[in-house]
Amino acid sequence: MALTRRNFVQTVGIGAGAALSSSIWGRGRENSVWSAFEPSLQAVDRGVICIASNENPVGPGKKVLDTVRSILEGGTKPGRYSNQTGELAEAIAAHFKVKTENVLLSEGSTEILRAATQVFTAKTKPLVGTIPTYEECAGYAELIGNPVRGVKLNSEFKIDLDAYLAASKGAGLVFYCNPNNPTATYVGAKATRDYLQKVNSSSPETTILVDEAYFDYVTDPDHETHVPLAIENPRVIVARTFSKAYGMAGLRQGYAIAHKDTIQKMRAFVGSSGTGSLNVFGMAAATAAIQQDASFTTNERNRNKAVRDFTVKWFNDRGMKPTDCQANFMFVNIGTPAKAFREACRAKNVWVARDFPPFEKTMARISLGTMEEMQKAVQVFGEVLAKKSTAAA
Amino acid sequence: MSVSRRGFLQGLGVDRSHAADFMAARGHEEFVALMQQGRQGGRGMGRPNLPPGVEAIRISSNENPLGPGKAAIDAILGKFPEANRYPFNSTPLDADLEILIAKLNSAKRENVVLGVGSQEILKNSARVFMSSSKHLVIPSPTYGDPAGFAQNTLKYTVKTAPVTEKTLKTDLSALLPLVNGAGLVYICNPNNPTGTVNSAAEIKDFIAAVKKQSPTTAILIDEAYCDYATDPGFSTAIPIALSTPGVVVARTFSKAYGMAGVRIGYAIADTATMQKMAKWRMPYNVNTFGVAAAVASLKDPAHIKEESARNKAVRDFTIKALADMGYESTDSQTNFIFTNIGKTMTAAAFRDGCAQKGVMVGRDFPPLEKTWARISLGTMEEMQKATEVFRSVLKSSATTTSGKGR
Repeated sequence: MALTRRNFVQTVGIGAGAALSSSIWGRGRENSVWSAFEPSLQAVDRGVICIASNENPVGPGKKVLDTVRSILEGGTKPGRYSNQTGELAEAIAAHFKVKTENVLLSEGSTEILRAATQVFTAKTKPLVGTIPTYEECAGYAELIGNPVRGVKLNSEFKIDLDAYLAASKGAGLVFYCNPNNPTATYVGAKATRDYLQKVNSSSPETTILVDEAYFDYVTDPDHETHVPLAIENPRVIVARTFSKAYGMAGLRQGYAIAHKDTIQKMRAFVGSSGTGSLNVFGMAAATAAIQQDASFTTNERNRNKAVRDFTVKWFNDRGMKPTDCQANFMFVNIGTPAKAFREACRAKNVWVARDFPPFEKTMARISLGTMEEMQKAVQVFGEVLAKKSTAAA
Repeated sequence: MSVSRRGFLQGLGVDRSHAADFMAARGHEEFVALMQQGRQGGRGMGRPNLPPGVEAIRISSNENPLGPGKAAIDAILGKFPEANRYPFNSTPLDADLEILIAKLNSAKRENVVLGVGSQEILKNSARVFMSSSKHLVIPSPTYGDPAGFAQNTLKYTVKTAPVTEKTLKTDLSALLPLVNGAGLVYICNPNNPTGTVNSAAEIKDFIAAVKKQSPTTAILIDEAYCDYATDPGFSTAIPIALSTPGVVVARTFSKAYGMAGVRIGYAIADTATMQKMAKWRMPYNVNTFGVAAAVASLKDPAHIKEESARNKAVRDFTIKALADMGYESTDSQTNFIFTNIGKTMTAAAFRDGCAQKGVMVGRDFPPLEKTWARISLGTMEEMQKATEVFRSVLKSSATTTSGKGR
């Protein structure tokens, strides 16, 4: 099924488990971050370049991790539960200049995607998503037995807004992942605004979930967050995550921003309205992360853009065309099945490129690591893809 | 006594200077308690404003007062450089935790599903096994999450049977008449809030009886407190779950493992049952720090033995102190006790009286809230202080009551 990810998760888990049984402990690559820590604090050097899951290769930074560390130091004696959910919600609200009633915390953005699908789709009100896109909403709709309406991307691998508008009519929920995963393309701010307005008027009962997971990586000048619209418009929800630019995929923190009535509808299906699903490390880290000044995301965006430009150029120079990449990953036509590419890279300790039907025969998704990692990775790509052309010849 | 009456009810503003003074051991129980007291989410959830230098003793939420062991904390510190990795890319992997849990229970990885605390497991059990025509059966009182989710969120039916009189043990025979056509039977063993256990033999017979009477009914046995059970008659139902389709055991790292704030739990059952549960599991649901802490904890079983022994000494002390004051407790096999204070006051009056003296004890547990109070067990030092407060609260109430006529 093109829109779901379940099989993938299963496969990766098992494969990775086997690979790691032989892992070794050593110095981590981000040691510079850790200079203030005891020498015993070591990362795992798995000897692999992991560019498969759109993670920020640098992590959340020392300031954020120091905050987490202070909890652990307090935790060696009986501490007290603190209302960290309140503090995090307030920090997010302050960051966006909205009220806490507009914020719903969640376990990654997964809980938001599930809750929105749960609340807004029904047997007669399908979920609408692009093919391909991030799979959680479609997978969950299937799980609860609600229909999924898939819409093809346009020739630039972007959301085809006319087709999307038509498909959105009568939908319960539209999943609008922008930038889109896995294609990395971004629909500009104005075009998105127009689309949202048209859905509101042509299908007033339809809710649109704008997933801005990769928003901080967008460099297209025509970009803006749809948070201001979401707090005014009960039919628009913005989902955000700390897993991408904030470098906290392991800490599982995300949130929705929406009109208070919309938040209220989703709340019963999100465990975070207490300490039900949010871990204390993640809450503390996220609170510290979002309170940093804008230079954190600006620096991360610039760091990523330099790596992206380098990697995009490498492929372009070899006649392999990436999409207009606005995220921390790229989607590139390698002219050969992703599976063969993935397996060959994996044999050389580069983890990359799961299948994204219907494009798995030619297109590969490549997450962007550090510049150093990508310099090494492209050498592996060169070897792997050269072998392919030799074999083909 | 220098602690004033302000505090608990009016002093709930969050003290930012304590932002770092919280820990992994505080968990969902806390929230349930605060919800019940009518303060939802946000800033309202704090601790009482006691005078400087006076620490509140928080024995309301069945937390391990010492938090995670050293192995777990070291493991978490070691994972800081992997904060950016999803749990399926981290070391150890979430899959490694499943494999380790399976190995420790002579099972396979496919017999284990991880949850965000056991909360996700309990909720997903309701979704997997229940429907609008397949109800939930629970003893009353018991842990409220499954029934709350089934009834309030999913709008499913819940049927209850009271616990046994006097012992307050879960009355399995009283549940049996309710199970026909049920989607799910939920048992908490040891039971929260009564602290009691049903023996391995009783559980085994009950499962057999349910399966005979209503073969499609699933049974969820929540063993959150099992590491604190010292009654030799208690044992885990995991072997039965592994060999009986539709029987699930839920476990958590929130109690003896001291990691309520870390949010890791798991379900264990036969493969076909777990496949159904796995479909509902949120992808990458457990955090990488927690996975590392859980793995390290499981590799340090001596720590859990010590924790159980520490808790038993505190439990024995507290039960005896209350017995000496004339208040009987149930046969607790957990890190909390359930005490009959009914001849003197209600749980609410006891709770308020204790709170005014800086000791926070458990919430109401209907239908027993007029007579029974749940007291979680802190450290020995905390309980030595707390029992003095209990003595004075239970005494002062007697005075107040007798003076009522004036």
